[in-house]
Amino acid sequence: MKESPIGTSSGGALEGRRLEGMIVRKVERELYEVFIGPQHPGSGHMRIIVRLDGDVIVEADPDIGYVHRTMEKLSEVREWLKPIPLLERMTIIDACNVTLPYVNALEKLMDKSPPPRASYLRVLLCEINRIASHLYGMGIFGVFLGHSTIYMWAFGDREVFVELAEILTGARLTHTYPIPGGVRRDMPQDFPEMARRAVRYMRRRLEEYRKIFVDNPVIVKRLDGVGVISKSKAAELGIVGPNVRASGIKYDVRLVEPYEVYDELDFEIPVFEEGDSLARTWVRVEEIKQSLNIIEQAVEWLERHKGEHIIPVEDYNKLPKLHKEVYEKTGRVKLLPIHASMKIPPGKALARGEMGRGEIVYYVESDGGTTPYRVRVVTPSARNAMVFKYIIPGHRLMDLPAIYGSIDYFPPESDR
Amino acid sequence: MIGVVLETLLYIIAYPPLWQVLIVGFAGALLVAMVAIWFERKAAARVQRRIGPYWASPRLGGFMTIVADMIRYVTQQVIIPFTVDRLAFIVTPVAVLVITILPLAFVPLSPHEIYWPVASMEYSLLIALALTTLPPLLTVVLGWASSNKFSVIGSLRESYVITAYELVAILALLAPAAATLSFNIAYIVEAQHPIKWFAILNPLAFLAAFLAILMSTSAFPFEIPESEHEVVAGPYTEYSGILYALNMGGGYIRRFIYAMLVALVFLGGWAPYTPGSGPLTGFIVPSLIVLIKACLIVFAMSFLRSVYGRYRLDQALDAAWRLALPLALLGLGWSIVLAYVNLI
Repeated sequence: MKESPIGTSSGGALEGRRLEGMIVRKVERELYEVFIGPQHPGSGHMRIIVRLDGDVIVEADPDIGYVHRTMEKLSEVREWLKPIPLLERMTIIDACNVTLPYVNALEKLMDKSPPPRASYLRVLLCEINRIASHLYGMGIFGVFLGHSTIYMWAFGDREVFVELAEILTGARLTHTYPIPGGVRRDMPQDFPEMARRAVRYMRRRLEEYRKIFVDNPVIVKRLDGVGVISKSKAAELGIVGPNVRASGIKYDVRLVEPYEVYDELDFEIPVFEEGDSLARTWVRVEEIKQSLNIIEQAVEWLERHKGEHIIPVEDYNKLPKLHKEVYEKTGRVKLLPIHASMKIPPGKALARGEMGRGEIVYYVESDGGTTPYRVRVVTPSARNAMVFKYIIPGHRLMDLPAIYGSIDYFPPESDR
Repeated sequence: MIGVVLETLLYIIAYPPLWQVLIVGFAGALLVAMVAIWFERKAAARVQRRIGPYWASPRLGGFMTIVADMIRYVTQQVIIPFTVDRLAFIVTPVAVLVITILPLAFVPLSPHEIYWPVASMEYSLLIALALTTLPPLLTVVLGWASSNKFSVIGSLRESYVITAYELVAILALLAPAAATLSFNIAYIVEAQHPIKWFAILNPLAFLAAFLAILMSTSAFPFEIPESEHEVVAGPYTEYSGILYALNMGGGYIRRFIYAMLVALVFLGGWAPYTPGSGPLTGFIVPSLIVLIKACLIVFAMSFLRSVYGRYRLDQALDAAWRLALPLALLGLGWSIVLAYVNLI
């Protein structure tokens, strides 16, 4: 008899040790098995296999990997700078946050450090990205709950920050802004005023969001006490980002291991104790407020320190005359062709950062060649994916979007 | 000569089954459904700071987008999967549409007996309400015929929701009958003349009816049986093309029929207007007044979509038994008080 590729027949020593959820298993008679995804309006690029007893979910198997793009392997065959635009594609809505730790790791290997102005510019873009990412998540969450207005509002207001990023970097989403030792270009003259206007606008809008969405009685009823992750469970599962902060654990890379200039800035890490979907929503709203504060501070600092370098002085001195002219006139850094095939001293480096969705970790190893020997990425969504298996069971089928949306899980980021 | 021809034509048009069931009922419902969809999209777009349908006909505010959608549905390929129960799959959506419009054959849109589609209106409210309860049963049938898990879950939800909310809708709509001591809609309407509308005299029952109709016809934020992010399209998941359009339009048409009943028993029907005796003033004008009132009710229902989210199924049922049903019973009780003190 021919064996089925994922069959239940003898698997030798591996029998019973295969990945749970990947094996064809008998469903108990009274259970109803529903496949939410991957081609389902409420699933994203993943599948949750749900087993129902009546309306109550007794088992949920997150089945991920539908958008795996071999990011780590592709990074190994590209010259040192080229993984930056590649790795952005993991979380295109959070592009600076997702590539910054990679750049930080390269800087550690090269023993370079960016000038303060470059650091501030990076932080500025990171916070713009964080707001855009949270608004994106909130919009999707809203439409999962049948609230189409917040969906349109959040996506419309996200545009403000996407355009802000475009003015700063030249690209709406794939900025490729940080480079080892600095950033690609300086901010335009009128940027501070625009940023301040955006901040004022967003503060006003958040109040309206609160009225129509976060304090909406129907939404509160849907989210309150749903999908509770207790403090101990959150620690045990190792989830990160706003999800863990909604469960009462004050963990944020910007706080525990400040990178760039986060230790010079004045901001708070919002923490909620409840651990339910409502708390996760509130954390994101509060984080948007904190990011707005950071943007204001960063812009103010940048205004006070006009004309400083955005790449290290020794790099600047190496530039030919034409490149120096462009740099001084337009604030753009034109990289020399030599950067494409630069070699990085052998070594290992680990860098981490706080994305909109949580902690991202890069491990970069160099053997002294023109390409990385190894790039290991651990994204926040990959660490949050496991949570579905443990918190969904016991809830009703209609709670699934309320939980799934509140986790703000992003499959392309998780699958890499 | 032309006057005679026109008058003959008028009498032909005013033939109650033709005017009431086909023109007001079928064409009117279709038009109201289209306008309601357009209004829903435009109103929601306004709230959500968008433009909504526009480019298909900028001067009409994009209304032609809806027409184009209809054309698309009509000409689209109808895919019938192998696994479905073919007969039930094809017949049910058509049957739903026919049965949905049927209650209109039992309501008077004129005070004059000659313009009634059936000879006696003695029990018209009861019969019309009884007929409105039929289409949801067929929704359950078509969900079952689809042999799709999401369809089965969707129709199961539908059966829960209608069990809870149809009861409320019927009780609330019967409140005016309790106040007037008659099931005759024509009599109920006359009793409200000119401005003693039951929506004003008995707001509790009106509110309960409004809520129950929203829920039992799955208006957008309350579309628990077909909520996209849980059960794809609920009972209609396997449907495509014209059959899907019939299902989707069915919900709007049911809402419209309910709205007609509400307009008659709660909003005084043709009330401020005193019908004459000719076919034009005695039948067509009053029926158009009822149509416009029904339209306004449907619009009001559409507007809620941009404010509220979706209730969870158990929360919706909870609200039905703990909030809507007592509200409807209170309305009924208040109607009995109204009848006792002879206010009507």
